[in-house]
Amino acid sequence: MKHYVRVRIKTDKKSNILLKLNKISVDIKNIKYEKDYIYFDILNKDIKRVKKYLVSYKLDIIDEIGIYKLKRELRKNMLFIVSVIFAVVVFMILSNVIIKVNIIHQDKDLRELINEDLKEYGVTPMRFKKSYDEYEEIITKIKEKHKDVIEWIEIDVDGMIINVRVEERILNKEKEESGFCHVVASNSGIITHVYTERGVAQVGVNDFVKKGDILISGEVKLYEEVKNDVCAKGEVYAEVWYNVKTSLPMEYELEEKTGKMRYNLMVKKDKEYVIFKSRVKEHQVKNKFLGKIFGYEFYMQKEYEVIKKNKRYTLDEAINKAISLVHEKLLVKESQTPKIIKEKVLKKSVNNDTLDIEIFIAVEEQIGVVEPYTKEMDSDTSDRTNNYNNNPVS
Amino acid sequence: MHIIKNIQNFLLDQDYYIDIFNNFIHVYDYQELITLTDKLIELKLKEFKLIIEGKELSISNMDNKEILIKGVLDSLRFVR
Repeated sequence: MKHYVRVRIKTDKKSNILLKLNKISVDIKNIKYEKDYIYFDILNKDIKRVKKYLVSYKLDIIDEIGIYKLKRELRKNMLFIVSVIFAVVVFMILSNVIIKVNIIHQDKDLRELINEDLKEYGVTPMRFKKSYDEYEEIITKIKEKHKDVIEWIEIDVDGMIINVRVEERILNKEKEESGFCHVVASNSGIITHVYTERGVAQVGVNDFVKKGDILISGEVKLYEEVKNDVCAKGEVYAEVWYNVKTSLPMEYELEEKTGKMRYNLMVKKDKEYVIFKSRVKEHQVKNKFLGKIFGYEFYMQKEYEVIKKNKRYTLDEAINKAISLVHEKLLVKESQTPKIIKEKVLKKSVNNDTLDIEIFIAVEEQIGVVEPYTKEMDSDTSDRTNNYNNNPVS
Repeated sequence: MHIIKNIQNFLLDQDYYIDIFNNFIHVYDYQELITLTDKLIELKLKEFKLIIEGKELSISNMDNKEILIKGVLDSLRFVR
Protein backbone atom coordinates (compact mmCIF):
# COMPACT_ATOMS: atom_id res chain seq x y z
CA MET A 1 0.00 0.00 0.00
CA LYS A 2 1.33 3.40 -0.99
CA HIS A 3 2.09 5.76 1.84
CA TYR A 4 0.65 9.15 0.90
CA VAL A 5 0.92 12.26 3.04
CA ARG A 6 -0.96 15.53 2.76
CA VAL A 7 1.34 18.51 2.35
CA ARG A 8 0.94 22.25 2.26
CA ILE A 9 3.18 24.72 0.47
CA LYS A 10 2.95 28.46 0.94
CA THR A 11 3.11 30.21 -2.41
CA ASP A 12 1.33 32.69 -4.65
CA LYS A 13 2.80 31.08 -7.79
CA LYS A 14 1.02 27.74 -7.72
CA SER A 15 1.56 27.04 -11.41
CA ASN A 16 5.32 27.26 -10.96
CA ILE A 17 5.27 24.66 -8.24
CA LEU A 18 3.16 22.29 -10.30
CA LEU A 19 5.40 22.74 -13.32
CA LYS A 20 8.46 22.04 -11.19
CA LEU A 21 6.85 18.99 -9.64
CA ASN A 22 5.92 17.79 -13.11
CA LYS A 23 9.52 18.12 -14.16
CA ILE A 24 10.74 15.77 -11.46
CA SER A 25 7.87 13.34 -12.20
CA VAL A 26 6.23 13.35 -8.80
CA ASP A 27 2.77 11.85 -8.35
CA ILE A 28 0.42 14.31 -6.74
CA LYS A 29 -3.26 13.91 -6.01
CA ASN A 30 -6.18 15.89 -4.67
CA ILE A 31 -4.68 19.26 -5.46
CA LYS A 32 -6.49 22.06 -3.65
CA TYR A 33 -5.84 25.74 -4.07
CA GLU A 34 -6.25 28.34 -1.38
CA LYS A 35 -5.31 31.99 -1.31
CA ASP A 36 -1.66 31.62 -0.28
CA TYR A 37 -1.38 27.86 -0.13
CA ILE A 38 -1.49 24.83 -2.34
CA TYR A 39 -2.41 21.49 -0.79
CA PHE A 40 -1.87 18.04 -2.30
CA ASP A 41 -1.24 14.39 -1.46
CA ILE A 42 2.20 13.11 -2.25
CA LEU A 43 4.06 9.85 -1.72
CA ASN A 44 6.04 9.85 1.49
CA LYS A 45 9.13 8.57 -0.32
CA ASP A 46 9.03 11.61 -2.67
CA ILE A 47 9.08 14.17 0.14
CA LYS A 48 12.87 14.29 0.36
CA ARG A 49 13.19 14.77 -3.38
CA VAL A 50 10.58 17.52 -3.44
CA LYS A 51 12.19 19.32 -0.49
CA LYS A 52 15.53 19.18 -2.25
CA TYR A 53 14.07 20.55 -5.47
CA LEU A 54 11.80 23.19 -3.95
CA VAL A 55 14.43 24.67 -1.69
CA SER A 56 12.92 28.11 -1.54
CA TYR A 57 9.45 26.86 -0.52
CA LYS A 58 8.32 25.80 2.88
CA LEU A 59 6.72 22.38 2.75
CA ASP A 60 4.60 21.25 5.73
CA ILE A 61 3.31 17.74 6.21
CA ILE A 62 -0.13 18.28 7.70
CA ASP A 63 -1.64 14.83 7.70
CA GLU A 64 -1.33 11.21 6.66
CA ILE A 65 -3.69 9.36 4.40
CA GLY A 66 -5.48 6.02 4.68
CA ILE A 67 -4.23 3.25 6.93
CA TYR A 68 -1.23 5.33 7.98
CA LYS A 69 -3.55 7.97 9.38
CA LEU A 70 -5.36 5.26 11.31
CA LYS A 71 -2.02 3.90 12.54
CA ARG A 72 -0.94 7.36 13.70
CA GLU A 73 -4.26 7.92 15.48
CA LEU A 74 -3.93 4.55 17.17
CA ARG A 75 -0.38 5.34 18.27
CA LYS A 76 -1.50 8.74 19.57
CA ASN A 77 -4.37 7.25 21.60
CA MET A 78 -2.55 4.07 22.56
CA LEU A 79 -2.93 4.64 26.32
CA PHE A 80 -6.65 5.27 26.05
CA ILE A 81 -7.24 2.30 23.76
CA VAL A 82 -5.19 -0.04 25.96
CA SER A 83 -7.07 1.22 29.02
CA VAL A 84 -10.43 0.62 27.36
CA ILE A 85 -9.40 -2.88 26.22
CA PHE A 86 -8.03 -3.64 29.69
CA ALA A 87 -11.24 -2.36 31.32
CA VAL A 88 -13.38 -4.45 28.97
CA VAL A 89 -11.26 -7.56 29.64
CA VAL A 90 -11.41 -6.97 33.41
CA PHE A 91 -15.14 -6.39 33.19
CA MET A 92 -15.60 -9.57 31.18
CA ILE A 93 -13.53 -11.55 33.67
CA LEU A 94 -15.18 -10.06 36.73
CA SER A 95 -18.68 -10.48 35.36
CA ASN A 96 -17.91 -14.18 35.01
CA VAL A 97 -16.48 -14.55 38.49
CA ILE A 98 -18.43 -15.62 41.56
CA ILE A 99 -17.96 -13.21 44.44
CA LYS A 100 -20.41 -14.72 46.90
CA VAL A 101 -22.26 -17.99 47.38
CA ASN A 102 -25.46 -17.62 49.39
CA ILE A 103 -26.91 -20.84 50.70
CA ILE A 104 -30.43 -20.04 51.77
CA HIS A 105 -31.57 -22.26 54.60
CA GLN A 106 -32.06 -21.84 58.32
CA ASP A 107 -30.08 -24.91 59.35
CA LYS A 108 -26.40 -24.06 59.75
CA ASP A 109 -25.31 -27.71 59.45
CA LEU A 110 -27.18 -28.14 56.20
CA ARG A 111 -25.67 -24.92 54.87
CA GLU A 112 -22.18 -26.17 55.72
CA LEU A 113 -22.90 -29.53 54.13
CA ILE A 114 -24.02 -27.91 50.88
CA ASN A 115 -21.10 -25.48 51.02
CA GLU A 116 -18.61 -28.36 51.25
CA ASP A 117 -20.18 -30.03 48.23
CA LEU A 118 -20.20 -26.80 46.24
CA LYS A 119 -16.51 -26.31 47.08
CA GLU A 120 -15.81 -29.80 45.81
CA TYR A 121 -17.52 -28.96 42.50
CA GLY A 122 -15.75 -25.59 42.22
CA VAL A 123 -18.65 -23.30 43.10
CA THR A 124 -16.79 -20.98 45.47
CA PRO A 125 -16.05 -17.27 45.57
CA MET A 126 -13.34 -16.01 43.20
CA ARG A 127 -13.89 -18.87 40.76
CA PHE A 128 -15.44 -18.62 37.32
CA LYS A 129 -19.14 -19.16 36.93
CA LYS A 130 -20.34 -22.36 35.32
CA SER A 131 -22.82 -23.00 32.57
CA TYR A 132 -26.46 -23.87 33.14
CA ASP A 133 -25.82 -27.52 32.24
CA GLU A 134 -22.93 -27.75 34.67
CA TYR A 135 -25.10 -26.35 37.48
CA GLU A 136 -27.80 -28.88 36.60
CA GLU A 137 -25.22 -31.64 36.82
CA ILE A 138 -24.00 -30.37 40.20
CA ILE A 139 -27.59 -30.25 41.49
CA THR A 140 -28.14 -33.85 40.39
CA LYS A 141 -24.91 -34.98 42.05
CA ILE A 142 -25.67 -33.21 45.35
CA LYS A 143 -29.22 -34.56 45.39
CA GLU A 144 -27.92 -38.05 44.71
CA LYS A 145 -25.29 -37.76 47.43
CA HIS A 146 -27.64 -36.48 50.12
CA LYS A 147 -30.93 -37.98 49.10
CA ASP A 148 -31.95 -38.51 52.73
CA VAL A 149 -31.22 -34.91 53.66
CA ILE A 150 -32.17 -32.80 50.66
CA GLU A 151 -35.64 -32.68 49.20
CA TRP A 152 -34.99 -30.01 46.59
CA ILE A 153 -32.12 -27.75 45.59
CA GLU A 154 -31.88 -24.88 43.15
CA ILE A 155 -28.89 -22.84 41.99
CA ASP A 156 -29.77 -19.34 40.89
CA VAL A 157 -27.15 -17.07 39.31
CA ASP A 158 -27.81 -13.46 40.22
CA GLY A 159 -25.02 -11.46 38.59
CA MET A 160 -21.86 -12.27 40.48
CA ILE A 161 -23.74 -13.91 43.35
CA ILE A 162 -24.82 -17.53 43.41
CA ASN A 163 -27.97 -18.15 45.43
CA VAL A 164 -28.48 -21.77 46.42
CA ARG A 165 -31.95 -22.54 47.72
CA VAL A 166 -32.31 -25.80 49.61
CA GLU A 167 -35.33 -27.58 50.97
CA GLU A 168 -34.61 -30.10 53.68
CA ARG A 169 -36.15 -33.56 53.48
CA ILE A 170 -38.28 -34.09 56.55
CA LEU A 171 -38.45 -37.72 57.49
CA ASN A 172 -40.60 -39.00 60.29
CA LYS A 173 -37.82 -39.00 62.81
CA GLU A 174 -37.88 -41.16 65.85
CA LYS A 175 -38.46 -39.14 68.91
CA GLU A 176 -35.18 -37.60 69.83
CA GLU A 177 -36.00 -37.57 73.45
CA SER A 178 -35.75 -41.26 74.11
CA GLY A 179 -34.22 -40.56 77.55
CA PHE A 180 -35.80 -38.85 80.51
CA CYS A 181 -34.42 -35.83 82.29
CA HIS A 182 -34.96 -33.23 84.95
CA VAL A 183 -33.96 -29.60 84.92
CA VAL A 184 -31.80 -29.09 88.01
CA ALA A 185 -30.18 -26.04 89.58
CA SER A 186 -26.61 -25.31 88.62
CA ASN A 187 -26.30 -22.76 91.44
CA SER A 188 -27.96 -21.89 94.71
CA GLY A 189 -30.25 -18.88 94.67
CA ILE A 190 -33.74 -17.40 94.91
CA ILE A 191 -36.03 -18.14 91.97
CA THR A 192 -37.18 -15.10 90.01
CA HIS A 193 -38.75 -16.62 86.89
CA VAL A 194 -39.77 -20.13 85.79
CA TYR A 195 -40.56 -20.92 82.15
CA THR A 196 -41.65 -24.56 81.71
CA GLU A 197 -41.82 -26.00 78.22
CA ARG A 198 -42.07 -29.68 79.17
CA GLY A 199 -42.28 -31.41 82.52
CA VAL A 200 -43.66 -30.30 85.88
CA ALA A 201 -42.28 -27.21 87.64
CA GLN A 202 -41.17 -28.06 91.16
CA VAL A 203 -40.33 -24.55 92.30
CA GLY A 204 -42.02 -21.19 92.32
CA VAL A 205 -40.92 -17.56 92.35
CA ASN A 206 -39.09 -16.51 95.56
CA ASP A 207 -38.26 -20.17 96.47
CA PHE A 208 -34.74 -20.71 97.65
CA VAL A 209 -33.01 -23.57 95.85
CA LYS A 210 -29.65 -25.23 96.36
CA LYS A 211 -27.32 -26.44 93.69
CA GLY A 212 -28.61 -29.80 92.35
CA ASP A 213 -32.25 -29.29 93.34
CA ILE A 214 -34.83 -30.41 90.78
CA LEU A 215 -36.44 -27.33 89.28
CA ILE A 216 -38.56 -28.93 86.54
CA SER A 217 -39.27 -32.63 86.92
CA GLY A 218 -39.44 -35.07 84.04
CA GLU A 219 -41.92 -37.21 85.96
CA VAL A 220 -45.57 -36.44 85.31
CA LYS A 221 -47.52 -37.51 88.36
CA LEU A 222 -51.18 -37.93 89.16
CA TYR A 223 -52.02 -38.43 92.84
CA GLU A 224 -48.39 -39.13 93.73
CA GLU A 225 -48.20 -41.85 91.07
CA VAL A 226 -45.80 -41.41 88.15
CA LYS A 227 -47.91 -41.60 85.02
CA ASN A 228 -45.36 -40.61 82.43
CA ASP A 229 -41.68 -39.72 82.08
CA VAL A 230 -40.46 -36.97 79.75
CA CYS A 231 -37.31 -35.02 79.20
CA ALA A 232 -38.05 -31.83 81.08
CA LYS A 233 -37.33 -28.58 79.30
CA GLY A 234 -37.49 -24.99 80.40
CA GLU A 235 -35.63 -22.01 81.79
CA VAL A 236 -35.37 -21.09 85.43
CA TYR A 237 -33.94 -17.75 86.47
CA ALA A 238 -32.71 -17.09 89.97
CA GLU A 239 -30.91 -14.46 91.98
CA VAL A 240 -27.46 -15.87 92.58
CA TRP A 241 -24.74 -14.44 94.81
CA TYR A 242 -21.05 -14.38 94.19
CA ASN A 243 -18.16 -13.40 96.40
CA VAL A 244 -15.35 -12.41 94.08
CA LYS A 245 -11.77 -11.73 95.15
CA THR A 246 -9.44 -10.00 92.78
CA SER A 247 -6.15 -8.10 92.73
CA LEU A 248 -5.15 -5.12 90.63
CA PRO A 249 -1.73 -3.42 90.37
CA MET A 250 -1.96 0.26 91.25
CA GLU A 251 0.44 1.17 88.44
CA TYR A 252 -0.44 0.72 84.80
CA GLU A 253 0.93 1.55 81.39
CA LEU A 254 -0.92 4.02 79.20
CA GLU A 255 -0.34 4.59 75.50
CA GLU A 256 -0.71 8.20 74.37
CA LYS A 257 -0.88 9.26 70.73
CA THR A 258 1.80 11.75 69.69
CA GLY A 259 -0.22 13.00 66.72
CA LYS A 260 2.18 11.51 64.19
CA MET A 261 0.52 9.22 61.66
CA ARG A 262 1.87 7.24 58.73
CA TYR A 263 0.08 5.22 56.03
CA ASN A 264 0.87 1.61 55.23
CA LEU A 265 -0.65 -1.21 53.26
CA MET A 266 -1.66 -4.57 54.63
CA VAL A 267 -2.66 -7.76 52.84
CA LYS A 268 -4.54 -10.43 54.69
CA LYS A 269 -5.22 -13.97 53.75
CA ASP A 270 -4.51 -16.50 56.48
CA LYS A 271 -1.98 -14.15 58.05
CA GLU A 272 -1.54 -10.41 57.95
CA TYR A 273 1.31 -9.08 55.82
CA VAL A 274 2.36 -5.44 56.13
CA ILE A 275 3.78 -4.34 52.78
CA PHE A 276 6.05 -1.50 53.83
CA LYS A 277 8.36 -1.27 56.80
CA SER A 278 6.74 0.70 59.59
CA ARG A 279 8.12 4.21 59.90
CA VAL A 280 6.99 4.74 63.50
CA LYS A 281 8.36 2.68 66.39
CA GLU A 282 5.49 2.20 68.81
CA HIS A 283 2.12 2.54 67.15
CA GLN A 284 -1.55 1.76 67.22
CA VAL A 285 -3.08 0.60 63.98
CA LYS A 286 -6.39 1.42 62.37
CA ASN A 287 -7.32 -0.59 59.26
CA LYS A 288 -9.55 0.52 56.42
CA PHE A 289 -10.78 -2.22 54.09
CA LEU A 290 -9.99 -1.45 50.44
CA GLY A 291 -11.14 -4.56 48.62
CA LYS A 292 -10.80 -8.26 48.10
CA ILE A 293 -9.10 -9.80 45.07
CA PHE A 294 -8.71 -13.57 44.64
CA GLY A 295 -9.16 -14.21 48.34
CA TYR A 296 -6.65 -11.55 49.41
CA GLU A 297 -8.05 -8.72 51.49
CA PHE A 298 -6.36 -5.37 51.07
CA TYR A 299 -6.36 -2.82 53.85
CA MET A 300 -4.99 0.68 54.16
CA GLN A 301 -3.35 1.01 57.55
CA LYS A 302 -3.07 4.17 59.56
CA GLU A 303 -0.22 3.85 62.03
CA TYR A 304 -0.60 6.29 64.91
CA GLU A 305 2.61 6.76 66.84
CA VAL A 306 2.20 6.30 70.59
CA ILE A 307 4.40 6.74 73.64
CA LYS A 308 4.00 4.58 76.69
CA LYS A 309 3.61 6.27 80.04
CA ASN A 310 3.45 4.73 83.50
CA LYS A 311 0.42 5.96 85.44
CA ARG A 312 -0.98 5.26 88.85
CA TYR A 313 -4.60 4.69 89.83
CA THR A 314 -6.15 6.57 92.68
CA LEU A 315 -7.90 4.27 95.15
CA ASP A 316 -11.37 5.05 93.75
CA GLU A 317 -10.18 4.53 90.16
CA ALA A 318 -8.58 1.21 91.15
CA ILE A 319 -11.82 0.01 92.83
CA ASN A 320 -13.91 1.00 89.78
CA LYS A 321 -11.43 -0.73 87.48
CA ALA A 322 -11.49 -3.89 89.61
CA ILE A 323 -15.30 -3.91 89.60
CA SER A 324 -15.40 -3.51 85.83
CA LEU A 325 -12.90 -6.38 85.49
CA VAL A 326 -15.14 -8.56 87.66
CA HIS A 327 -18.12 -7.66 85.43
CA GLU A 328 -16.15 -8.65 82.36
CA LYS A 329 -15.17 -11.97 83.97
CA LEU A 330 -18.79 -12.68 84.86
CA LEU A 331 -19.93 -11.91 81.34
CA VAL A 332 -17.32 -14.24 79.90
CA LYS A 333 -18.12 -17.00 82.37
CA GLU A 334 -21.87 -17.06 81.80
CA SER A 335 -23.32 -18.16 78.50
CA GLN A 336 -26.32 -15.89 79.05
CA THR A 337 -25.77 -12.29 79.91
CA PRO A 338 -26.45 -12.07 83.65
CA LYS A 339 -28.31 -9.10 85.01
CA ILE A 340 -26.44 -7.51 87.91
CA ILE A 341 -28.92 -6.74 90.65
CA LYS A 342 -26.59 -5.37 93.31
CA GLU A 343 -22.93 -5.28 94.25
CA LYS A 344 -20.93 -4.24 97.28
CA VAL A 345 -17.26 -3.99 98.11
CA LEU A 346 -16.72 -6.17 101.18
CA LYS A 347 -12.99 -5.73 101.74
CA LYS A 348 -10.26 -3.65 100.20
CA SER A 349 -6.58 -3.24 101.04
CA VAL A 350 -3.44 -2.04 99.25
CA ASN A 351 -0.41 -4.32 99.74
CA ASN A 352 2.85 -4.05 97.82
CA ASP A 353 1.34 -1.53 95.40
CA THR A 354 -1.50 -3.97 94.62
CA LEU A 355 -5.16 -3.52 95.43
CA ASP A 356 -6.75 -6.66 96.93
CA ILE A 357 -10.49 -6.43 96.82
CA GLU A 358 -13.44 -8.66 97.72
CA ILE A 359 -16.77 -7.86 96.08
CA PHE A 360 -20.24 -9.25 96.69
CA ILE A 361 -22.37 -9.40 93.55
CA ALA A 362 -25.98 -10.52 93.19
CA VAL A 363 -27.01 -11.38 89.65
CA GLU A 364 -30.06 -12.81 87.98
CA GLU A 365 -29.12 -15.72 85.75
CA GLN A 366 -30.47 -18.89 84.22
CA ILE A 367 -29.62 -21.74 86.57
CA GLY A 368 -31.58 -24.62 85.04
CA VAL A 369 -29.47 -27.41 83.50
CA VAL A 370 -30.75 -30.64 82.01
CA GLU A 371 -29.76 -33.79 83.86
CA PRO A 372 -30.87 -37.17 82.53
CA TYR A 373 -32.12 -40.02 84.70
CA THR A 374 -32.80 -43.63 83.87
CA LYS A 375 -36.12 -45.44 83.95
CA GLU A 376 -34.79 -48.19 86.24
CA MET A 377 -34.94 -45.69 89.05
CA ASP A 378 -38.54 -45.07 88.17
CA SER A 379 -39.76 -47.43 90.90
CA ASP A 380 -38.02 -45.35 93.51
CA THR A 381 -38.68 -41.85 92.38
CA SER A 382 -38.99 -40.37 95.81
CA ASP A 383 -35.52 -41.63 96.79
CA ARG A 384 -33.99 -40.15 93.69
CA THR A 385 -35.71 -36.85 94.27
CA ASN A 386 -34.34 -36.86 97.78
CA ASN A 387 -30.89 -37.62 96.43
CA TYR A 388 -31.03 -34.53 94.29
CA ASN A 389 -32.29 -32.44 97.11
CA ASN A 390 -29.68 -33.71 99.53
CA ASN A 391 -26.72 -33.09 97.26
CA PRO A 392 -24.09 -31.19 99.21
CA VAL A 393 -23.71 -27.66 97.90
CA SER A 394 -20.18 -26.82 96.98
CA MET B 1 0.33 -9.94 -11.33
CA HIS B 2 0.62 -11.11 -14.96
CA ILE B 3 -3.14 -11.10 -15.30
CA ILE B 4 -3.33 -7.45 -14.23
CA LYS B 5 -0.54 -6.50 -16.61
CA ASN B 6 -2.28 -8.32 -19.47
CA ILE B 7 -5.57 -6.59 -18.76
CA GLN B 8 -3.80 -3.23 -18.61
CA ASN B 9 -2.11 -3.94 -21.93
CA PHE B 10 -5.40 -4.92 -23.47
CA LEU B 11 -7.27 -1.87 -22.19
CA LEU B 12 -4.50 0.67 -22.69
CA ASP B 13 -3.10 -0.61 -25.92
CA GLN B 14 -2.41 2.82 -27.35
CA ASP B 15 0.14 5.58 -27.10
CA TYR B 16 -2.19 8.07 -25.55
CA TYR B 17 -5.83 8.92 -24.96
CA ILE B 18 -7.72 12.03 -24.01
CA ASP B 19 -11.05 11.92 -22.16
CA ILE B 20 -13.11 15.06 -22.27
CA PHE B 21 -15.87 15.65 -19.76
CA ASN B 22 -17.99 18.69 -19.09
CA ASN B 23 -15.57 20.32 -16.67
CA PHE B 24 -12.65 17.92 -16.80
CA ILE B 25 -10.11 16.68 -19.25
CA HIS B 26 -8.08 13.57 -18.59
CA VAL B 27 -4.90 13.01 -20.58
CA TYR B 28 -3.07 9.71 -20.51
CA ASP B 29 0.54 9.27 -21.52
CA TYR B 30 1.57 12.90 -21.79
CA GLN B 31 5.25 13.71 -21.69
CA GLU B 32 5.55 17.15 -20.23
CA LEU B 33 3.57 20.00 -18.82
CA ILE B 34 4.79 23.02 -20.74
CA THR B 35 2.54 25.87 -19.68
CA LEU B 36 0.20 26.20 -16.78
CA THR B 37 -2.05 29.19 -16.18
CA ASP B 38 -5.73 29.45 -15.27
CA LYS B 39 -6.57 30.19 -18.92
CA LEU B 40 -4.09 28.06 -20.85
CA ILE B 41 -2.48 24.69 -20.35
CA GLU B 42 -0.01 23.21 -22.81
CA LEU B 43 0.88 19.57 -22.72
CA LYS B 44 3.54 17.85 -24.78
CA LEU B 45 2.58 14.43 -26.08
CA LYS B 46 4.64 12.07 -28.20
CA GLU B 47 3.76 13.47 -31.63
CA PHE B 48 2.04 16.75 -30.96
CA LYS B 49 1.35 19.47 -28.47
CA LEU B 50 -2.08 19.74 -26.82
CA ILE B 51 -3.27 23.24 -26.10
CA ILE B 52 -6.21 23.58 -23.75
CA GLU B 53 -7.91 26.93 -23.39
CA GLY B 54 -10.62 27.85 -20.95
CA LYS B 55 -11.38 29.54 -17.68
CA GLU B 56 -10.32 28.72 -14.11
CA LEU B 57 -8.19 25.86 -15.31
CA SER B 58 -6.39 23.93 -12.63
CA ILE B 59 -4.77 20.57 -12.13
CA SER B 60 -6.59 18.14 -9.85
CA ASN B 61 -4.34 15.12 -10.05
CA MET B 62 -1.01 14.63 -11.74
CA ASP B 63 1.61 11.94 -12.08
CA ASN B 64 4.31 11.23 -14.63
CA LYS B 65 1.89 9.66 -17.17
CA GLU B 66 -1.54 11.02 -16.43
CA ILE B 67 -3.02 14.40 -15.69
CA LEU B 68 -6.52 15.50 -14.74
CA ILE B 69 -7.39 19.11 -15.51
CA LYS B 70 -10.41 20.86 -14.08
CA GLY B 71 -12.06 24.00 -15.32
CA VAL B 72 -14.38 25.47 -17.96
CA LEU B 73 -13.09 24.22 -21.30
CA ASP B 74 -13.36 26.55 -24.28
CA SER B 75 -11.12 24.93 -26.90
CA LEU B 76 -8.73 22.09 -27.51
CA ARG B 77 -6.05 22.24 -30.17
CA PHE B 78 -3.45 19.84 -31.48
CA VAL B 79 -0.25 21.44 -32.74
CA ARG B 80 2.08 19.23 -34.73
